[in-house]
Amino acid sequence: MGEAIVITSGKGGVGKTTTSANLGTALALQGKKVCLVDTDIGLRNLDVILGLENRIIYDLVDVIEGRCKVQQALVKDKRFEDGLFLLPAAQTTDKNAVNAEQMKALISDLKRDYDYILIDCPAGIEQGYKNAIAGADRAIVVTTPEISAVRDADRIIGLLEKEEIEPPKLIINRIKKQLMASGEALDVNDITTHLSIDLLGIVLDDENVITSSNKGEPVVMDPANPASIGYRNIARRILGESVPLMSVDAGKRGFFGKLKSIFVKS
Amino acid sequence: MKDSEFGVTQMTKQQYVTIKGTKDGLVLRLDDKCAYSDMIAELRRKVEEDGLEGLAEVQVQTGNRYCSEEELKEIMNIIHGSPNLRVSKIQSDVITMEECNRKILENQSETFIGIVRSGQVVKAEGDLVVIGDVNPNGRVEAAGSIYVLGRLKGIAHAGANGNAKAVIAASWLEATHLIIADKMETMTDELTILSEQPEMECAYLHPNGFIAIDRLQELRNLRPGLSSFKGGS
Repeated sequence: MGEAIVITSGKGGVGKTTTSANLGTALALQGKKVCLVDTDIGLRNLDVILGLENRIIYDLVDVIEGRCKVQQALVKDKRFEDGLFLLPAAQTTDKNAVNAEQMKALISDLKRDYDYILIDCPAGIEQGYKNAIAGADRAIVVTTPEISAVRDADRIIGLLEKEEIEPPKLIINRIKKQLMASGEALDVNDITTHLSIDLLGIVLDDENVITSSNKGEPVVMDPANPASIGYRNIARRILGESVPLMSVDAGKRGFFGKLKSIFVKS
Repeated sequence: MKDSEFGVTQMTKQQYVTIKGTKDGLVLRLDDKCAYSDMIAELRRKVEEDGLEGLAEVQVQTGNRYCSEEELKEIMNIIHGSPNLRVSKIQSDVITMEECNRKILENQSETFIGIVRSGQVVKAEGDLVVIGDVNPNGRVEAAGSIYVLGRLKGIAHAGANGNAKAVIAASWLEATHLIIADKMETMTDELTILSEQPEMECAYLHPNGFIAIDRLQELRNLRPGLSSFKGGS
């Protein structure tokens, strides 16, 4: 029996879909059987980021409305031997084509065959959000070090706490080391105190996240990329490993560097 | 003292309205056993024949008679019919069950433990104690006072039923909006009442009609009535 994890944020554009794709891939790299479910009906993206767009035949709405079996709609990622599958969202209809009960049934169906089901939630708190969380056992809230994203995360956490799922965990995405070190962006501590939920991990901002997404190959495939390391660490924590939090100190200044900066200021 | 007073009223012919002078002004005691109409008739007579010079403050005591809003208004109007009399307050020894139940609720304190997050509203009929933070866009509302053991960074409305004596106190007062009774203050940067240090502060309705913020330690001087402390040594 697998575990269903919803990845949500409230605000759009903070990296829910990128996080879903990368965590799914990272878990598959760890040898787990993973199914990604895109619930952003009408605005699907997860297939593009995984580079699976051209292989879609059926979608989530086809499954729900009984036009095909769930196995027929699942798109297999050939980079992994039976490790990573995607259930794509429909593009021609909208979020109201599905209801929470149907999603719940679908997810509990999938849980029989997979270790992890990652549900990519659409932005907002309307029907799409309700569908996405319906079948989930756990929730991951993604935010960025921006006040607006943190506010929306707070709202979403409030809504999630009312649901019968485990307390949500936090991912802080797109951390810019320099801004955080200079105090111009909210720092990790500020965000976790404000939201007061457990931190699952942080992901550094990196250009390669965008370029690799454009190529349809999640950045987590590259073991040396700093963002990739963040995602891999999070995947290991999901699997129950204890991994220390990576440092966000921008400066590599040693003792003499600090000493110098004191004299330079005065 | 009280006995002799009664003796006097009973020795003279049945009086429904007794006037007594005290250092705080006149006290008008209305008999609570007689018919309301008899009392009103006598009050009218007394007010008309009253030969006072200058303005006198009058305290009206209705005893164990329950007077409705309209009846109280009628009594006020009769007394104000004399140019020399001004009602300072009306005292009654009785209240309705409804009022009593409301007062009980308002004197209760409710406790919320947790974080009031964006979009959430926590309401209390009496005082409200929040143990945890109130995040931005989170709202706490109480008919009485609000006490936050944590950071108040959202919206707080104390005295929601019009109680201007209600206060808002927090370990960390950084609210976006403070509302007491029907007075609202948005905590913008240009506001001078905001201090540099938001730690341990309280907000109250100043007699000048604006919301003021002071150190939590000042609360005992500002609102001594809030203390309901009974036990201890």
